[in-house]
Amino acid sequence: MNPIFPEVGARWRAIQHSLAHRRNPPVTRLLVALLLGTLCPHSLFTTLRAQIPLTTAEGFAVPQPGHRFTFPRDHGNHPDFKIEWWYVTGHLYADAGRRFGFQATFFRSAAPRGGAEDSATFGSGHIFLAHMALLDTQTGKFLHQEKLNRAGWDAAASPATLDVRNGPWSLRLADPADTSSAPRLLLTGSIRAEAAFTLTLTPAKPLVIFGEDGVSRKGADPTAASYYLTFSRLRADGELTLFANSNTSALAASDSPAEKLRVTGEAWMDHEISSSQLSGGQVGWDWLSVHFADGRELMLYQLRRVDGTADPASTLTWVDAAGKTQRAPFTLEVLDRWKSPATGAAYPSRLRLTTTDPLTHAAVQLDIEPLAKNQELTGALGGIPYWEGACRIRDDSGRELGSGFLELTGYAKAVQL
Amino acid sequence: MFALETLLLRRFALRHWRLAPRQSLLLVGILALGVAVFVAVRLANRAAVASFTHFTDTITGQSDWIIQPAAGTLPESVLPELRAALGPRPVHIFPVVESTAARVRRTDESAQFGRTTFTLLGVDLIAVANLARAHSANASYFGQPDGTDTRSDFWSAFRAGPQIWLSSTLATSLGSARTLDLVINEQLHALAIAGVIPTPKDAPRVPANLILLDLPQLQRLTGKLGRLDRVEFLIEPGPRADERRDELRALLEKLGTTSDGERWTVTSPGARRDTAATMTRAFRLNLTVLSLIALLVGLYLIFQALDGAVVRRRSEIAILRSLGVEERTIRRAWLAEAAVLGLLGGALGLLLGWAGAQFSVRAVGQTVNALYYATTVESAGLDTGEIALGLLLGLVASLLAGWWPAREAARTPPAQVLVRSASAAPGHGALRSAWLGVALIAAGIVCAQLPPLRFASGGRFPLAGYVAAFLWIFGGGVLCGFLLPAIARVTRRARESSAVARVALSHLAAPSGRHRLAVAALLCAIGMTAGMAILVASFETTVRGWVQRSLQADLYISSNGAQSASSQNRISPPVWRALAHDPAVAEASVLSAYPIELDRTPTIFTGADLRVVRARSDLSWVQAPLDDAVFDATRNATLALASESFCERFRKKRGDTVRVPTPAGPQTLTLAGVYADYGNERGSLLVERARLVAWFGDDYAANVSLFLRPGTDAESLRTALLARHPGLAIYTNAALRSEILRIFRQTFSITYALEVIGVAVAVIGLALTLISVLLDRREELTTLRALGFSHREIARATAVEGTAIAASAVTGGLLLSLALGWLLIYVINKQSFGWTLGFSLPWAQLAALAVTVVATGAAVSYAVGRWGADLPADREE
Repeated sequence: MNPIFPEVGARWRAIQHSLAHRRNPPVTRLLVALLLGTLCPHSLFTTLRAQIPLTTAEGFAVPQPGHRFTFPRDHGNHPDFKIEWWYVTGHLYADAGRRFGFQATFFRSAAPRGGAEDSATFGSGHIFLAHMALLDTQTGKFLHQEKLNRAGWDAAASPATLDVRNGPWSLRLADPADTSSAPRLLLTGSIRAEAAFTLTLTPAKPLVIFGEDGVSRKGADPTAASYYLTFSRLRADGELTLFANSNTSALAASDSPAEKLRVTGEAWMDHEISSSQLSGGQVGWDWLSVHFADGRELMLYQLRRVDGTADPASTLTWVDAAGKTQRAPFTLEVLDRWKSPATGAAYPSRLRLTTTDPLTHAAVQLDIEPLAKNQELTGALGGIPYWEGACRIRDDSGRELGSGFLELTGYAKAVQL
Repeated sequence: MFALETLLLRRFALRHWRLAPRQSLLLVGILALGVAVFVAVRLANRAAVASFTHFTDTITGQSDWIIQPAAGTLPESVLPELRAALGPRPVHIFPVVESTAARVRRTDESAQFGRTTFTLLGVDLIAVANLARAHSANASYFGQPDGTDTRSDFWSAFRAGPQIWLSSTLATSLGSARTLDLVINEQLHALAIAGVIPTPKDAPRVPANLILLDLPQLQRLTGKLGRLDRVEFLIEPGPRADERRDELRALLEKLGTTSDGERWTVTSPGARRDTAATMTRAFRLNLTVLSLIALLVGLYLIFQALDGAVVRRRSEIAILRSLGVEERTIRRAWLAEAAVLGLLGGALGLLLGWAGAQFSVRAVGQTVNALYYATTVESAGLDTGEIALGLLLGLVASLLAGWWPAREAARTPPAQVLVRSASAAPGHGALRSAWLGVALIAAGIVCAQLPPLRFASGGRFPLAGYVAAFLWIFGGGVLCGFLLPAIARVTRRARESSAVARVALSHLAAPSGRHRLAVAALLCAIGMTAGMAILVASFETTVRGWVQRSLQADLYISSNGAQSASSQNRISPPVWRALAHDPAVAEASVLSAYPIELDRTPTIFTGADLRVVRARSDLSWVQAPLDDAVFDATRNATLALASESFCERFRKKRGDTVRVPTPAGPQTLTLAGVYADYGNERGSLLVERARLVAWFGDDYAANVSLFLRPGTDAESLRTALLARHPGLAIYTNAALRSEILRIFRQTFSITYALEVIGVAVAVIGLALTLISVLLDRREELTTLRALGFSHREIARATAVEGTAIAASAVTGGLLLSLALGWLLIYVINKQSFGWTLGFSLPWAQLAALAVTVVATGAAVSYAVGRWGADLPADREE
């Protein structure tokens, strides 16, 4: 049984089996599970409300309808829940037409309840995984790095406010005691010694709480649910430093010192808290967020099943200029594919989304085109390679409507679910 | 043009070798032994240095910087502080806890010596996954390869409690065992074996005695909760690596500096390795000098043997010369023969040395372990450099030894004249000058006054002392030749009548160079042997006295795992308190000890209840305290006692002050007195224990001495305590005393072997000399036979000659040994280790040595004489 997702035993065993044949270390397997859990947050099930227990069979807390969120406390850590993540993606712009995509994610996963005495400095009750990625559209260079740490001195999340760290990376409130619905956030990230960024993220809209009565349901099981909090539009402002790569030549390294860029842009942040995530016969999922120039946003995820069809649980949600959400039916069509030289996975490299605009009730057709083909996180620690990258959104006439971030999982041959 | 030499070698030298194979074999063997000893010691030294492992390297890769407190441990709180100070800099911060453990001692095993000390390394086994190296190693610590096994569950593996990862070497030797019994501090632990330490192909091999644990588990096992031994830093790869590395160092140094001293020192793995190398440099140099002596002895024997060969083949050489073979050619042929011998001996020596190294490596490793640091010595291999060196050594030695005989051979006149004086003067004329001998001895006296060479990390090497020893040996050898005519005069007066004696003594009245050389060699062997015996005897007497005085308690208790200077196994506070408060105990003396670095030189900081120390045992004072203040806990706040080696190492004396680093900040202490301590070479400072405990925030005891109430049976209490605390080692007073002396004797057992070898070599040398002398005199022997001397009488005459040589060598040698003994005790030992020893003469041993040498000298000479009496006048051999 998978320790983190006991309810997805069958799928877990399948992954384990395929991974065992690739001789991946068990740490990797753990993280596959973590990622699987992580990357299917965007599911919004409408199921009958059943009797909701306070805890799962393992003893983890279960999201309760009508929960009164208090801030900044609920931006912080919820260690009674099994899985939690803070997930920031966005686009950055600098002078001279420089453009970047970035991703900064922090995950927490809890050990089974109980257990031995724990050390505060070297804990064994939780582990933290983090991913950072940066795309430089000018060079097409995609940098990414992951970090895995036990809860303790080098990885932690405050239970009182937003303050989550992993090594030198952190995401916190500019004012830890900020009670407003649109607090300023500070993000510090880097990719090895090649890039570093510090960004101030200011919400342009109030926090969106997905789901019904504060609970985002994931399936028929009453415990399969999450608290799902999103800043759908954050204004990003900060500094991005690119370091000359010494690989080119020693001379070039000394001649071209660090390139410091003042950057501005837009970002999206999810914070999801749960103890149990949906299972199913899917091979992977596609997730998309779009910032439209008109001030609205769109978020969709599509769960892909073994037979190639989309799971009915797949959803598309519009967020209007005031922050109100509304669902719409959609279809997603793959126009082109790109084969990863690293993993051999054939990821969709151009997609066509067809849905209905809730303002006009007219059908709209959106072309989703990555800013660079290679935005694959090959996942040495996470174990499961996935593609997560910045995209351009156009209408059928080729007019640019906004920018998006696309997440594609389950395409690598290794994870044949 | 070398055709002739080749021909000569084949026709002339080879034939001799065929005729006397045993002799040639002996020659090669002697040379091989000399080379072998040198090679074995060299290999062992190299292995001892190479085996200083920075253990973390094999797990995380080479760190860029290491921070380490000068004393004690670092609190965990430095970690968030460091991360905050480093800000967004891409640096991996690796806290490390390191300790030692030992296998449980079996009851039939009294020896502390020779048990493997394991190094326990605690690193964060989750964070290790972030390193590039871990990626390539596919490092997985918490899980098993079989994915369907429920135990492969990550969390239950991660939280399974203490579990250990082993080197593949150790894992193989343990076979299918699931647990390993280890003594950590005073506790016995059966630790679950989780697997083998995964390493990528390019990583250094995991040392066999390395045991890896998850950091918090090791903290719990060793009582170091909340403490770290050091923190290592690895910058992330990428541009500007050198710049970032330098910046990091500057930052760490700035963070480590506070208003009242250093919180830590910033070093690198390379610097740590260098420190280890310099720490043992003096020790290794001492060993090398000893091994060179072995080579020197070999050289002397080769010389004797080749000289004998020249004499034997002189008539042949004369014939060759009369056939027109040039001097040059003959010399070259002889040197070529010596070179072949040398190469053969060198090659054989390499083999023997390599074989010997498999033992010497362990022996040297154990000593290094006991005195300096944990080593991982397993075996030693020859590299090409050593092969070349061994062969070269054999070659040079034999060419050196063969030079004079070759010249002598070449100078043989075409028609060999029967005049002894023409041929019997080996050595330069100056060597026969008494003034040279006096000058050498005087130079030696000057050298003996010079200070030692000092290395970083506190090592000292008594170079001048060794030079003095060499000068005295050489000078003594020169002067000793003058004893022969003196003996001849004295004896002739005493035994006017005996024709046998007169014949023998006539040779001694005007001793040939060969006689002088034989005396000198024998003198050298006896001098060194007896000198060493004096050192060992003085050492033993001193240690015995020290043990007698200072070991007064009834029971001595330490961790079963404590066995060397590098061992960190101690007794936890609840256990030592229980021991101290046992109803049968009248008083307990608890000793705490912490390794510290003073001026970047390692030493030991100890604490004891000084009142008890004074009341219960008798410290041997080198400089006794001037008043009682140091023993009074209310008055000794700034006072300390220092061991003699400490004072030697840091050049301190009573009344000086030392600034000692502690986790509570540096303390300035005044040295109230200096005591003798033959237990360690690094030196130690002794203060009131309560203060040390406060400074270090740690109440573990290194050992506990119990003074029992009258009427208590120490042996039965020992049994009872052992039953309660199986992880302890408990000695009764008598057992500890005999154990100390046993270890002492074991340490010096090699010197007894050296004595036997020294005497044997000298006596063989004497026999070879006499053979040459008799061969040279075969015409005289014929004459004596013609005059009616019986074989027995000729043998007796030779015996008298040999005995006289042996006797004068013994006389001179014993005199020399007194000087060498003094030098070894008061200069070489004192400078190397800082231990003052009382001079003590092993009368019986010296007498036995003298009698043995004279007796075997007489017997061997008689045997040679019997053989010489049968020598035909003209034919070879």
